[in-house]
Amino acid sequence: MNFRNQFKLKSLLVYSFFGGLLAINSCSNSESQTVTTMKTMVWADEFTEDGTPNAANWNFDIGTGQNGWGNNELQYYTDRPENIEVKNGMLYITAKKETFQGSNYTSAKITTKGLFEQKYGRFEAKIKMPWGQGLWPAFWMLGDDSNGTVSWPAIGEIDIMEYRGQQPTITHGSIHGPGYSGGEAITKSYTLPNDRFDTGFHIFGIEWGPSYINYYVDDVLYNQITPSKLPAGTEWVFNNKQFYIIINLAVGGSFVGSPNAETEFPQEMIIDYVRVYK
Amino acid sequence: MKTIKNKFLKSTYTLALLLVVVIGCDREISNEAVLTTFSNNPAVFLDGFSSGLQYYPFGGSKLEAFSVDTQTKYQGTSSMRFDVPNVGDPTGAYAGAIFRDDNGGRNLTKYDALTFWIKATKSATINEIGFGQDFGENKYQASLQNLRVSTGWTKFTIPIPDPSKLIKESGLFWYAEGPENGDGYTFWVDELQFEKLGTLAQPRPKILNGVDKVEQTFIGSKVVVNGLTQTFNLENGLNQTVVTAPGYFEFTSSNPSVASVDDLGNVTITGTGTTKITATLNGIEAKGSYTLESLGDFTPAPTPTQSASNVLSIFSDAFVNQPVEYYNGYWAPFQTTQGQDDININGDNIIKYSQLNFVGIQFTQPTINISDMSHFHIDIQVKDQMQSSDYLIVRLFDIGSDNSFGGSDDSSAELRLTPTTLSTGNWVGYDIALRNLTTLRGKNNLAQIVFVSDATITDILVDNIYFYKVPTAPTVAAPIPTKPAADVISVFSDAYTNIAGSDFNPNWGQATVASQVPIAGNNTLKYAGLNYQGLQLGSSQNVSGMTHIHIDYYSANSTSLNLSLISSGPVEKLKALTVPTSAGWSSIDIPLSNFLPVNLSDVIQLKFDGNGDIYLDNIYFFK
Repeated sequence: MNFRNQFKLKSLLVYSFFGGLLAINSCSNSESQTVTTMKTMVWADEFTEDGTPNAANWNFDIGTGQNGWGNNELQYYTDRPENIEVKNGMLYITAKKETFQGSNYTSAKITTKGLFEQKYGRFEAKIKMPWGQGLWPAFWMLGDDSNGTVSWPAIGEIDIMEYRGQQPTITHGSIHGPGYSGGEAITKSYTLPNDRFDTGFHIFGIEWGPSYINYYVDDVLYNQITPSKLPAGTEWVFNNKQFYIIINLAVGGSFVGSPNAETEFPQEMIIDYVRVYK
Repeated sequence: MKTIKNKFLKSTYTLALLLVVVIGCDREISNEAVLTTFSNNPAVFLDGFSSGLQYYPFGGSKLEAFSVDTQTKYQGTSSMRFDVPNVGDPTGAYAGAIFRDDNGGRNLTKYDALTFWIKATKSATINEIGFGQDFGENKYQASLQNLRVSTGWTKFTIPIPDPSKLIKESGLFWYAEGPENGDGYTFWVDELQFEKLGTLAQPRPKILNGVDKVEQTFIGSKVVVNGLTQTFNLENGLNQTVVTAPGYFEFTSSNPSVASVDDLGNVTITGTGTTKITATLNGIEAKGSYTLESLGDFTPAPTPTQSASNVLSIFSDAFVNQPVEYYNGYWAPFQTTQGQDDININGDNIIKYSQLNFVGIQFTQPTINISDMSHFHIDIQVKDQMQSSDYLIVRLFDIGSDNSFGGSDDSSAELRLTPTTLSTGNWVGYDIALRNLTTLRGKNNLAQIVFVSDATITDILVDNIYFYKVPTAPTVAAPIPTKPAADVISVFSDAYTNIAGSDFNPNWGQATVASQVPIAGNNTLKYAGLNYQGLQLGSSQNVSGMTHIHIDYYSANSTSLNLSLISSGPVEKLKALTVPTSAGWSSIDIPLSNFLPVNLSDVIQLKFDGNGDIYLDNIYFFK
């Protein structure tokens, strides 16, 4: 999710024809398919306490970062209840169109950095998406930066879910690392058959272990990424450090383009829960 | 291509419905009956007509526009081909048809869209394409307007505004398209079917195109909630808006004692007060609302009495109006005035302007030639309370012989109406003689009527704006007198025995041409080209026992007319009469005391002087 100024839409297509990926996808309908194997819950936020997100679990990222969080994003992140609030057993992240601190949109971003970090495991969240051109919700992870001594993309990034508001049936799962970041990330898209991500809740998850990351939506395993998928000579950076969780709703930016006149605001990303298993 | 006339024998359809109902009623409730539902076949045209499908072209359209094409198709063996005619095609001005299920209709409740692939011989914009037209109620019609098609096969989706309504829909497909820039072309439709896509979401119904409209109205007024649409977000992220029939909506009036609204969105004002009309579609509140402030009972403006053949009307229900471009030009940026010809109260159309500062009515296509007219009429009712300094200027604007705005040939005239004559809450009719509007130099190219109040008067109703002429000769006889003969000494009337021996054209050296002419079978005295004209009574008359002299007179062109009585001496005294007679015959009863010092015991002559062509009848003294 960081520093993607050179992102090219074409790259998504380039990465979508890995033969192995298709094979896994075709398995998903089989009764013998096992979507997940890690069953022991180690961390969760069910968002049961109304108000601000639990400070023991979440930090806020505030402001616009550098250069729109590295992606030319348009929103200003706040911790105000109108942008982020727990209510009705859900976490609501609300993107608003308003002039605020020099930005034209506000929204929110939370991370577990320094509060909960783990290497390997099953990370999943149940989310209902916003919709409309220029909305970019994400559920993702970054590797620990060893007190700032390692920088992106060397720290590694696992994008469990990215979504474009103008493509309401498609989610993207990606990894970024040195030599395969930004527009060259290892990505696969999944299209929800005869349904959309903005009309109901869906589960977005990965199961991550030594030298593999499996991506699933609901009960469909749609991708497995292993070191064999990396470009020649590049390093698998997901076996040697802890990662933390990030959830945010961006407005605009290189990945989605800006909202247009038909984009309706406010828009909500609603998270029922985030759960981590080992 | 705005008007499509559905000419179709409805009887077949009605019969089919009737049969279905009868069969339904005949059966007892049983397991079998539950299974008796309408076909849910989603196919309309895949490679041929689906079961029950029939083609019915619109009246006036090119009947042969549709054919089955086995050469060009998206997939399978054939497609639907539509040949849009050129302008001037003798076989039809446009292409348009409905495709109907004549097996009684389909149950389409489990689908969410009508989809099809389409391509054309050139890039084109299809005026209307959709479903739900059945030549019956068209209750669940839904259409795309101005669909852009190209030369490559493209799939389009017409979302069903609310599938739960389509339990028995026979209108499976319809379209209407005219020539593009005068030229016809061909387009093909293939794989036309209802589908359950599952990817249509974010329904956003609208009424009144999403506007919150506020309007003052009266008891008896009827308005329609229009601008009905349903919008879905499609799988490709684009919003698709469907023009949606009222049958999909549920309309509500917040105050039913003020207004009721029916299933078609027709609102009838029945009481005084305020109500807000809103609607839902499949449980979702539609954007837009209609707030109506009913001011109570309404008195219409008087119905005009002029003969239509003597009128050029801009706005009146009494006449056929001239072509008018608009009744409110919404002239930017300074105009604040809202409202136009959109009030209908018990069938009476009225113009209502609110927030008035200025507003114009324009008619340049063509301009109106009022050179043959003599008068301008307008009825105005002021709604707001007036200050004595308030005013309303009515400006007539002629754009001159160049027939365009600007240039030295433009001219205008203004009527400045003030609270002296205007009345809050009451209609006031104005009849203005055009010859008095001296600054209106041109009358052949009248183009605008402009109202200017500079926000002094802000709310007015306007009705019966027209120009008229008074015919130079009366078309009807003067009113028949009703006085008993015993109370009358008659000079000239078919109703009485007149004084014997009177000379109606004595030679006093006048230029007037006097004659007697029949008007609608009634003998009438005509003085053409009047300068003066004497009337020598057959004998001296003692009218001192009478109280008045009565005269019916008519003149479309006189600007001066005096009547004198003369007694021996001679002693004479005149009485000025109001001319011209803009509303037909004028009847006047003049007290004889007006003529003193004339000796009423010895009246020997009458005299008229002035100008113009005068018609006279029923000249008599009475008591």
